[in-house]
Amino acid sequence: MKRFGRIVAVVTLVVFVLSLVLVFSPSEKAFSSAGSTKKIVFWHITTDAVGKQMIQNQVNRFMKANPGFKVEVVPLQNDSFKTKLKIAMGSNQAPDVFVTWGGGPFFEYVRAGKVKDITAYMNEKGYKNRFIDAAFGPITYNNKIWAVPVEGAGVALIWYNKEIFKKYNLKVPTTYDEFLNIVKTLKAKGITPITLANKTKWPGCEWYWYLVDRLGGPSVFEKAAERTGGSFADPTFIKAGEMLQDLVKMGAFVKGFNGLDWDTGQSRMLLYSGKAAMELMGTWQIPIMKAENKKFYENNLDFFPFPAIKGGKGDPSNLIGMASSNYYAVTTTCKYPKEAFNMIQYLIDDQAVKERINYGQIPPVKGLKFTDPMLQKVYNIIAKAKSVQLWWDQYLPPQLAETHKDIVQSLFGLTITPKAAAEKMEKAAKDYFKK
Amino acid sequence: MQKDKASKLMQNIGILLFLTPALVLIGIYIIWPIAMSFNLSMFEWDGISPQKIYVGFNNWKNLLQDTIFWHAFFNNVKFIFLSIIIEMPIAILLAVLLDRGGKKFDAFKSLFYLPMLMSSVAIGVLFKYIYDPQFGLLSGILSFLHLDFLTQDWLGDPKIAFYSVVAVICWQYIPFYMIFFIAALSNIPHELYEAAKIDGATQGQYFWRIELPLLSPSIKTACILSLIGSLKYFDLIYVMTEGGPSNATELMATYMYKNAFASFKMGYGSTIASAMFMIITTAGILAYFATKKKEA
Repeated sequence: MKRFGRIVAVVTLVVFVLSLVLVFSPSEKAFSSAGSTKKIVFWHITTDAVGKQMIQNQVNRFMKANPGFKVEVVPLQNDSFKTKLKIAMGSNQAPDVFVTWGGGPFFEYVRAGKVKDITAYMNEKGYKNRFIDAAFGPITYNNKIWAVPVEGAGVALIWYNKEIFKKYNLKVPTTYDEFLNIVKTLKAKGITPITLANKTKWPGCEWYWYLVDRLGGPSVFEKAAERTGGSFADPTFIKAGEMLQDLVKMGAFVKGFNGLDWDTGQSRMLLYSGKAAMELMGTWQIPIMKAENKKFYENNLDFFPFPAIKGGKGDPSNLIGMASSNYYAVTTTCKYPKEAFNMIQYLIDDQAVKERINYGQIPPVKGLKFTDPMLQKVYNIIAKAKSVQLWWDQYLPPQLAETHKDIVQSLFGLTITPKAAAEKMEKAAKDYFKK
Repeated sequence: MQKDKASKLMQNIGILLFLTPALVLIGIYIIWPIAMSFNLSMFEWDGISPQKIYVGFNNWKNLLQDTIFWHAFFNNVKFIFLSIIIEMPIAILLAVLLDRGGKKFDAFKSLFYLPMLMSSVAIGVLFKYIYDPQFGLLSGILSFLHLDFLTQDWLGDPKIAFYSVVAVICWQYIPFYMIFFIAALSNIPHELYEAAKIDGATQGQYFWRIELPLLSPSIKTACILSLIGSLKYFDLIYVMTEGGPSNATELMATYMYKNAFASFKMGYGSTIASAMFMIITTAGILAYFATKKKEA
């Protein structure tokens, strides 16, 4: 018994001393600098097995070419990544390279001086020209470039089950009225017309954004968000809310959508099983579906762009999304920014582009050809789009984005009227911008 | 006399010496962060930029007028009430049954304790699937029993979501209180049971007249634990619903988290955290004195 007491005492003492060391050491670098290898910490959010391996391979090629460097690759889940990054940035434990979508939340980091300006690197030997021009929108701030476009285009499209459409003799709709007819037909046949996982709110928002765009064009939102003569209480927003609630009331969406989780695949499963016919979702779902259910991807999956609304001002070729979905940025705390940038280049060099297309992505690189007809079709649609409007929740400052998403989820839940929703958003914007 | 005083002093120094490590740790890990978050509640800060804007009590003023915060607070209160009236009776019942069964029921003890061993996050993910209105186990069982009309939009309907989540939390915590009560029951001397038997007491009489009164101090403690736990509850709700849909399952802690980390309003988030600290401390102290008085 005495001996046991002594062991407990020793263990306690060790824990105590260790925790003191941890508290008072400035950062984890105090431990890692002991070795002679230089370390780059790299956070990304590609967590499916194939994609994760692909990124690791690209990083391995960098490490092979630069023997002095060790890259610590940390794949993180989409939603937890956002929090983790924020805490790391706030407590000076930032990674050296991190993934971003650009836009409002990213510019918060830029304004706080956490992100390295890489304009000079991008201009070196005209590296910038490798990428399609539209890719630079969400990462250009104060005329400077803050991140490298790497991962494929991500635009929202309506995916549908070809077999179901064929079985009930349905044609791909070009107008919203045709679309509504399809919804009614499917409903009558006992098939859920649209699957949706809206727990995290952004999947449902995509419907609202498209309705606003088709009704009023991209400028309605931009004017309201930039406070340049626009208003979120504009009739367009109210009308979009009404149309959205009409869809909900028709029973167009799957039962329980506000509780389903997209990250765990609860909406896709309905497509695979043939219980639901359509889903509005970003093109990042291509590699995921290809990996999860190859047979379904090859035989049953197709897509169409959001249909035109009669009398609406928005061009039917307009898209919501971005020409590149994931960007990679270097932090100002990175000790080897030049090498970190070089590592990012390995993620999108010629070899990587080949791997990414195989994986199912459409890299933001000029002049590509695809063997997969699905990818070619997406590429063509993006090339001919009159406008590609950034996701609103990335465009807006984070605080407003959260309010907006909450409001749209309430619209879906029929707990707020379209008019009250529009006014609530306008009030939030006014309070935030103070104009 | 002199010697006594000296040894007392030595003893006190000894106590202080041995307490120092604990005090330092508590200071660094508990008191300092609490002070920091009270301090932060005076600022408008996004959580990342080096400069913070001093706004005085502005955040507190906003908090008092924030309808969502009060809605969340009310949810917490509802949650305390529900968890106590659901968890305690079931836990007592299970404990008594297992206690009567003696050694034969040891396997059940471990079996019933299983939910407590799982992490809340895992339970959250698990029940997200169980509650799935299309493929979920619950809907499956209901339709197997031809009770399809009972299937609900468990997590997506603002009117039902709160109760769906409460049910899971009760499932998770009942084992904890069950073990708590089993321990208390085992302290009841066996002679009492024998005496009661000789006097011709029935099982029911034994429960109401002997077991329950003797359990009451433990029940009070369990209620305080449940009260404080319910006020600061976070993880499972965040995993299952993120406080949604439309704030239906919002608790103070989820609302604090969303403000501080999703909306980049660290100052306001700290205000909520500080308010929670004050509410929980007050509730804890009140409950402590309320139960203490009755015992005396």
